[in-house]
Amino acid sequence: MSKRAIFFDKDRCIGCYACVIACKLRHGAPPHPSAPPEGNPTGINPINVFQYGPVIQEDRVIQFFQPISCMHCADAPCINVCPTHALYTDPQTGAVLVNQKRCIGCKFCLWACPYGALHLDGKGEIVKCDMCADRLKEGKRTACEATCVARAIFVGAPEEISQIQARKAMAKIKKENPE
Amino acid sequence: MSHERIVRTTCKSCHGGCGVLVTVSGGAITGIEGNPDSFTKGTMCAKGLATIQEVYNPNRLRYPLRRKGDRGEGKWEQISWEEALNTIIRNMKGAVAQFGPNSVCVGQGTGRGYNIHTMRLASSIGTGNLMGPGHVCYISRLMTYAITVGGRLIPDFHGWGGEFPKTIIAWARQAETNNPENEMGVWFLDALEKAKHFIIVDPRATRLAPRANLWLQVRPGTDAALALGMMNVIINEGLYDKEFVHHWTFGFDRLRDRVQEYPPRRVAEITWVPEEKIIKAARMIATETPVAFMIGEPLEASNNCTQNNRAVICLMAITGNIERPGGMVNWMVTEAGDLEEFGREIRVPKENRNGMAGGDQYRLGVMSRIAHPDTIFKQLREDDPGRVRVMHLQGTNPILSYANSRAVFSGLLKVDFLSVADLYMSPTARYADIVLPVAHWLETDGIWDEHARFYFSAMVKAVEPPGEARSDYWIYNELGRRIAPEYWFDSVEKMLDYQLRKANITWEEFKKKGVLARTGKDQIYYKYKTDYWREGGGFRTPTGKVELYNTTLEKFGYDPLPSYVEPNESPYSTPELYRDYPLILSTGLRVPYFFHTQYRQVPWLRERQPHPLVQIHPDTAKRLGIEKGDWVWIETPRGRIKQRAWLFAGIDPRVVIVQHSWWYPEKPDGALWESNANILTTSDLPCDPATGATTFRALLCRIYRVEEELKEQCKF
Repeated sequence: MSKRAIFFDKDRCIGCYACVIACKLRHGAPPHPSAPPEGNPTGINPINVFQYGPVIQEDRVIQFFQPISCMHCADAPCINVCPTHALYTDPQTGAVLVNQKRCIGCKFCLWACPYGALHLDGKGEIVKCDMCADRLKEGKRTACEATCVARAIFVGAPEEISQIQARKAMAKIKKENPE
Repeated sequence: MSHERIVRTTCKSCHGGCGVLVTVSGGAITGIEGNPDSFTKGTMCAKGLATIQEVYNPNRLRYPLRRKGDRGEGKWEQISWEEALNTIIRNMKGAVAQFGPNSVCVGQGTGRGYNIHTMRLASSIGTGNLMGPGHVCYISRLMTYAITVGGRLIPDFHGWGGEFPKTIIAWARQAETNNPENEMGVWFLDALEKAKHFIIVDPRATRLAPRANLWLQVRPGTDAALALGMMNVIINEGLYDKEFVHHWTFGFDRLRDRVQEYPPRRVAEITWVPEEKIIKAARMIATETPVAFMIGEPLEASNNCTQNNRAVICLMAITGNIERPGGMVNWMVTEAGDLEEFGREIRVPKENRNGMAGGDQYRLGVMSRIAHPDTIFKQLREDDPGRVRVMHLQGTNPILSYANSRAVFSGLLKVDFLSVADLYMSPTARYADIVLPVAHWLETDGIWDEHARFYFSAMVKAVEPPGEARSDYWIYNELGRRIAPEYWFDSVEKMLDYQLRKANITWEEFKKKGVLARTGKDQIYYKYKTDYWREGGGFRTPTGKVELYNTTLEKFGYDPLPSYVEPNESPYSTPELYRDYPLILSTGLRVPYFFHTQYRQVPWLRERQPHPLVQIHPDTAKRLGIEKGDWVWIETPRGRIKQRAWLFAGIDPRVVIVQHSWWYPEKPDGALWESNANILTTSDLPCDPATGATTFRALLCRIYRVEEELKEQCKF
């Protein structure tokens, strides 16, 4: 299986938070609403979406939604700082994964991650995006990508992501410079 | 795991109906995800995915309950289904015998796949008082389409006719996250990729505003003026579809005369949309065709409901977008026929129908067979001899949903007997005499056909309901069997078989198949050029044409041409009031994780937003000393509510938009009177004359900080 990377397209995301719930449903939070009373944040989101704007500039509306999860860095700061080697890169998928047995809960990775993508839950375990590695191995798309109505999430080979970026840049140039 | 199985079903978390795959393991749901092989292509929203927390919510109702103490006291005793159903039937029959069929009211909330069953039950009783929010949501639009075009029109995002929309217009509509009627978010967003132009008509910058070529920031409640102004430009510049207008419309000359009253300059003053933008949008709609019009509910939640919709439909017509591929199409239904027949096929005696609440006034309401809720509650409050005595409500919260909550509440308390079916002890259920526990959609077998579109799909039971909860369909059938056995069935399965009979398929077979559809080449466009609606071509209207000048409205004594009426309350219609209430109030702020009164008890959704929010422009907030997240009072002459300030630059500084339907399931009484936006609205001001629609989107208010107990409030 080839290495994968995640691309979040902020220009497509509509901030519907479906990816957030799809992810929770798979991992990160108990599905049964037993303990938490209504209205209390249960809080951990391996993927989350942040809104910027709107800012109105003359006749332009600047507003976007940015989904953020673990970006599965090739040179991952979290892996570099982990004193117990609990964090590692899955050689098959390229996903940054955690071995809970080795984790001592020191939170170095939480500080090191530039995306704020790692979380420590109440049980002292690291919660983070695992790129739905099990789903990828079954030939399925990740939970967040599959549910995204705006097609703002793409998980694929790094080269494919480069191509998407290039196409986007091209479209933007064309739009700003009509014939 | 060997005993893990996948159930293919249809989501009922809103009225869209996305395809779903549910993983069931050991009798419990362990996974929910979109079905990639369905029409919705595997996509699902937050509400549908979080529904697992509804299924296993500890606050679900499990057994039929009978009230023990006073209404609202919260004392209940568990009873059997037999006893509960018989009690309801005894009260219904008693009222029919003593006061006639119209003294029984059957009501539901927003469409949930059982609309036709509610209607069939009401018809079985013979009552004209079928209650629903249709007058302000969708039914009025359907009626306007019916009298103008002869049937509902849906944006065509599928390309089956060889064309996709070149221009898409989202008119008071956020189909990307909310309010799917016939067009699902994924279809719209995929079509948006292909469209050249995108126009948004909305008082605020929606989520897609950055992607729009044109955003017309309209003053709430002035949509009809905007459409008339656009038609003025299109007609006067000769940009209309002359061939279509000549052959297939009725009354164009009179429409041309009418739009002369709405030159762009005047419309700009009314709507606050700059003149050049109105002209630009009008030219775009007329020349960059086909155009898909997505119309939203705010056009209906207005005292100018009928004409708002009429104006936009006339705009579709004169630009030649009706029945054109990539434009507005009336879908052909599947071989199962029009499933809505199931609701309509039992005739209600004419005098009962005309005698429905509001029937003497709102003639389009009578056509829709849905009574006027505000009149039902008014008659109750005023002890009108023709009032409703017995009410059965299924999946609805009138206290939160209808205009003027206090008036609805006092009316509801006057009903002699009230039964409510719901998943939870809802604010309305608290005041019932009998409460029935309803099964969740993942615990229900049924047919999902919400909007007579080109397909319908199976809702398949994945797990058993908790306690003795039963499906909506089962409850309707059991009530129906007891009151008019000739119209109802031995079992739900038999009922579903009957609904499917024209397709020559049984429920068991359909369940395996999952979906029946008519797509691609099986959909015919330009039906008015064929014998489909009328021999020799034409539309299903009295004149056989698209009635720009409307003969039905003329017959009823309403304005036959689209027109603009200023909102009941506005800076221009009530300048005196405006001095004391200097902000325009809309109750239309929708978010992707709640659906009307639903889902405040779902932790994953509630944690997105624990408190109600009001959108206010940062400049206005600054002037009023309001900071981000402050609790503020929003006050109208009717009362005041508390919500938290969301400083939002994408809104006109003169307008604020609050969230509706807020209650707090975690608080003892649901805290019904704290943040419920319908405390601010009113049913006393003039309604739309044809449909009885009340204004929810254009009122006046004032806003100020909540000073008391601020510390306690902000802790969450």
